[in-house]
Amino acid sequence: MRNPTHSLILAALFAGLTALGAFLRIPFPPVPFTLQVLLVLLSGLLLGSRTGMASQGVYILLGLTGLPIFAGGGGVTYILSPTFGYILAYPFAAWTAGRLSRGGNTPFSKLLLAALTGLSVIYAFGVSGLYLNLNYLAEKDVTIFQVLRIGVIPFVIPDLLKAAAAAFFAFKIGSHRSDFP
Amino acid sequence: MKFLNHLTFGQYIPAESPVHTLDPRAKILSVLVLLTGIFLVRHPLAFIPWGLLLAGLTALSRLPFSMVLRSAKPVLILVIFTSLIHIFFTDGRPLIDLRIVVVTREGVTMAVYMGLRLLFLVLFASFLTLTTKPMELSDGLERLFSPLVPLGFPAHELAMMMTIALRFIPTLLDETDRILKAQLARGASFDRGGIWKRLKAFLPVLIPLFVIVFARAEDLATAMESRNYRGGEGRTRMNPLRWTGADTAALGGILLFVALLFLADRRFLS
Repeated sequence: MRNPTHSLILAALFAGLTALGAFLRIPFPPVPFTLQVLLVLLSGLLLGSRTGMASQGVYILLGLTGLPIFAGGGGVTYILSPTFGYILAYPFAAWTAGRLSRGGNTPFSKLLLAALTGLSVIYAFGVSGLYLNLNYLAEKDVTIFQVLRIGVIPFVIPDLLKAAAAAFFAFKIGSHRSDFP
Repeated sequence: MKFLNHLTFGQYIPAESPVHTLDPRAKILSVLVLLTGIFLVRHPLAFIPWGLLLAGLTALSRLPFSMVLRSAKPVLILVIFTSLIHIFFTDGRPLIDLRIVVVTREGVTMAVYMGLRLLFLVLFASFLTLTTKPMELSDGLERLFSPLVPLGFPAHELAMMMTIALRFIPTLLDETDRILKAQLARGASFDRGGIWKRLKAFLPVLIPLFVIVFARAEDLATAMESRNYRGGEGRTRMNPLRWTGADTAALGGILLFVALLFLADRRFLS
């Protein structure tokens, strides 16, 4: 069992790793994709629900205080950006992934389910954020289907693969270490 | 081959100005008041005094105006898009009739109003991060949230985690760069094959990275505990925040400005 100071530091370091995730771009034409979602899900899978959630909360706070660690920069102004919902989802996605995968020696299928559920949390927040932003901040009427078309369909396949990769990585790492939650 | 050199650090622009030296708490609260004020604006003309305030604040904080404008970049597309939508799709008295699209007087007014509102929201919010170091902000947030501590809100822990993350991001960046280069030298390729293959190519990068992170965390936890770290209770600081008359004056001035403008907007313009 880890003590509170240890968990606190791990959460902080995973916040740093998630920040790095925005910069680790995989070149894949036409749009290069980042490893961010992968690291969000991994922080939940490796650190457990509470610590994973804390790490993502810290990541958001750091981005809001002006570090350029979100995909499009950083700063408080990011709250108004249409894609803020996706970022706001990270703590909850990490919590969900951690919660569903707890227990030692988690089998791969359980990790995969946890990662996919975490991913669906990101999309649920992201799509609602996009919908609210466009309808109420930009005050133009878009239907939920239009939002799905711009906010889900272009990204869902790479993201599903990232969720699978997160489960796979967590499985590989978890089988080497015994102190994971 | 440099993978990770996009990270120029932070939005903060150092300068010797009365705005920079304000207490971070005063700045956080002032920005909240300003943003609320902008949301309450009803008439496009009311944005003129807001523009003057923006210019005044920029001059007072000794920031180059271009830097302030640049902070609007993340939402620029949204601003333009919103304005265009409103120009073309608002009913009212036609101004220009192009058969397919009709530009109405109301549409133009709406477009200007919506565009300016978004733009001002972003620009005023950006002052906070342009004039305050991330560390000061996290200190300020810790103190602002401290009344919630008895309810179980981890104000100190969040601030401490922000400090540690801030300290370690450059280190992690260096380590990642090193591992990437080491794997490349051993024949790894990150830009060939399908998505799945490219993702899997990161396994030999992430595993050493996680090993480093877990080892660091253990070292740091031991180091902190052997120096008697036990959370926020009774902890003192090297540079305590000090709320001065200038902070009260700044917050008061902003409140007065927003209140007066709100009254003027409702009374004479709407």
